[in-house]
Amino acid sequence: MDITESPENVEFRAAARTWLLANATPRTESSVALPLDEHVAAAMAWQKTLQAHGWAGISWPEAFGGRGESSLRASIFNEEMSRFEQTLGPLTVAVGMVAPTLMAHGTPKQQQHLAAILRGDELWCQLFSEPGAGSDLAALATRAELDGDEWVVNGQKVWTSLGQFAQYGILLARTDPTVPKHKGITYFIVDMNDPGIEVRPLVQMTGHAHFNETFLTDVRIPVENVVGEVGNGWAITRTTLTAERSSIAGGGAGWSVEGLIELAREQGRADDPLVRQALARAHSRSEVMRVLNLRLRTAIANKRMPGREALIMKLAYARHWVSTTDSAMSLLGAQGMLAGSDAPHDESWHQAFLNQYAIRLGGGTDEVQQNIMGELGLGLPREPSTDRDIPWKDLPK
Amino acid sequence: MNFDLSDEQQVVKDLATRIFDDLATPERVRDVCADGGHDADLWQALADAGLLGLCLPETVGGVDLGSGMGMVELCLITEQQGRRVAPVPLACAVVAARCIANFLPAEAELLARFVAGESIITAALAEPGRNDPFTPGITATTVDGGLRLVGDKPAVAALSQATHVLVPARHEDANVVALVETSAEGVHIEALVTTNHESQGHLTIDTVIPAARIITDAAALDQLVWHTLVAHCAIQLGVAEGAVALAAEHVSTREQFNRPLSAFQAVSQRAADGYIMTEALRTTVLNASWQCDHGEDPRADTLAAAYWASEGTQQVVLGAQHLHGGLGADTDHPVHRQFLWGMQYASTLGNASTHLERLGRLIAHG
Repeated sequence: MDITESPENVEFRAAARTWLLANATPRTESSVALPLDEHVAAAMAWQKTLQAHGWAGISWPEAFGGRGESSLRASIFNEEMSRFEQTLGPLTVAVGMVAPTLMAHGTPKQQQHLAAILRGDELWCQLFSEPGAGSDLAALATRAELDGDEWVVNGQKVWTSLGQFAQYGILLARTDPTVPKHKGITYFIVDMNDPGIEVRPLVQMTGHAHFNETFLTDVRIPVENVVGEVGNGWAITRTTLTAERSSIAGGGAGWSVEGLIELAREQGRADDPLVRQALARAHSRSEVMRVLNLRLRTAIANKRMPGREALIMKLAYARHWVSTTDSAMSLLGAQGMLAGSDAPHDESWHQAFLNQYAIRLGGGTDEVQQNIMGELGLGLPREPSTDRDIPWKDLPK
Repeated sequence: MNFDLSDEQQVVKDLATRIFDDLATPERVRDVCADGGHDADLWQALADAGLLGLCLPETVGGVDLGSGMGMVELCLITEQQGRRVAPVPLACAVVAARCIANFLPAEAELLARFVAGESIITAALAEPGRNDPFTPGITATTVDGGLRLVGDKPAVAALSQATHVLVPARHEDANVVALVETSAEGVHIEALVTTNHESQGHLTIDTVIPAARIITDAAALDQLVWHTLVAHCAIQLGVAEGAVALAAEHVSTREQFNRPLSAFQAVSQRAADGYIMTEALRTTVLNASWQCDHGEDPRADTLAAAYWASEGTQQVVLGAQHLHGGLGADTDHPVHRQFLWGMQYASTLGNASTHLERLGRLIAHG
């Protein structure tokens, strides 16, 4: 063990910072949030810039167009980038979830998407959750039936982040209803421009339509778009979900503990002992998050699946988010409850405060994560289940 | 001692329950919140049912007004308002009217219009930052015929709808409360967008108020602040009750893993925690509202209730929303309003931390 940053990484960090200062805009309290469509376009353009200057895919293997460096370096770069307005948030599914899944399970043809993702040419969405399949994702009911060399898909998905902008989606559908629920699922790549796909935005209480409902009617998917084996989708889904947990916990939140400290100073409260305790608590939480992230990177570097680390980080991050935004609201007093264009700091704290629900639910609820943690971390027996061995078609609907 | 409601109180509660159930439907609340955040029809219905005047003195300045009921009864009404998250400025307006009845009895005509639903009265209590209503940001200086008030106030309930606003101001080394007409010259109103989409406004003022409309008795601001806070606690109680009821219904009917969500202990226990918190809040609200009517000094009991209302209701609405999954944040599902209201009132006139600080100061100094 050695927790100091190596001279090479110190140099790498300095180089990253120098480049970012020359090519990106430092984040300030007066940074303005863009409308959703412009936010998405800006993220794709930024990915393109990163790629053009050799800062994209730092930890991706060279075979996939990356720099083949450690994932620690990738997180050093992200840490530096978080001080700037530019964000890759909308590309989380593409870069953070689809890419690792295709690297591990994709065919050479499917892996051609990796270059396009790296160039910022493709936005992806995730078509997993359904109205009847949330925490119980494996109960999903969207059906795919083989017709010649195409699968024909019918069903409904929900909570599709940025589905209205995406070119491609990763889709789970049931290809065999005669076997138990985990076994009859297949993992597909779907072209979101297929005429059978209808995306309807859902408005959240933040005032934004980040999520969508997605209706699939006779959507035709070529057999070559199956990722892994037919019926083996659940195993591949685990790769995507672990990547999702690390991505959520990896930050890009649009708020920071430094911002909270700034806010306390600005409100003239930095000398208040109660406020200072809240700041110190936020700081210590963020230090734990930072070191947990280093442990997660160590696991990856040493070729271990960072399952437990990702679970702990995601849970800890959700709590960190709730407490930190709560402290910000407390500092803002009556103005904290103003919304839209009346809210201070371009609504950034207010949006973060209202968005806390998404962090506790996305990528599996806190309760699901804690159940898995009990099994993975403590070796507790699985929760008794009434439906694991029953063919999906015989389950009550 | 008897914590049960009297027959009259039960009638008040039942009447309020019926009015809010009938008129503050989720669809109606959605439409009103998208269009100014004040339900004028509901306000008139409350007036017609006699609920606006209920908690005012029986006669003021020779005019027959209320029934002489008090804060316990007002809280029974605002609790039902909170349960249905109904956008009307009931707490603030009734408390302001009671203050006028007590300290400006010559304003009987204004109060009569208020009771009839023709005139809304509000109070500018919120302050920026630490949100301490006893250090008003508006200053008053003596001029011919009265006081000149200069300054501004954030987040005043229903300011755009109100005809009158009670404005606390710092005059020399004391606080005074001025009755201000919102249409007066030198009074500027800017409508604000708020978390729960209720109507609020920013007040900017530079005007002279005649001495007859200035309350110099310090008890007036005390009453305004503590009574509004208690009525807000009752709103929070209703918000929490509504949230717990929606969550209980959802987790009993939504099935995952071949059974209702409520069959999972993590889920049922979180719902039960919400219920316990709500009942704890009910106890403190009943106590604080009774102290306002009958006690010598309601401050400590009010702050205890306000702490539970801020801290507890936040936990309840967060939990209830969480138990709804993604639906909980979807604007098509009513539970998101319980969340927004819980958060809004948790930061109105202070928050859990400032309430604790004030309570701590009060009890530590004896």
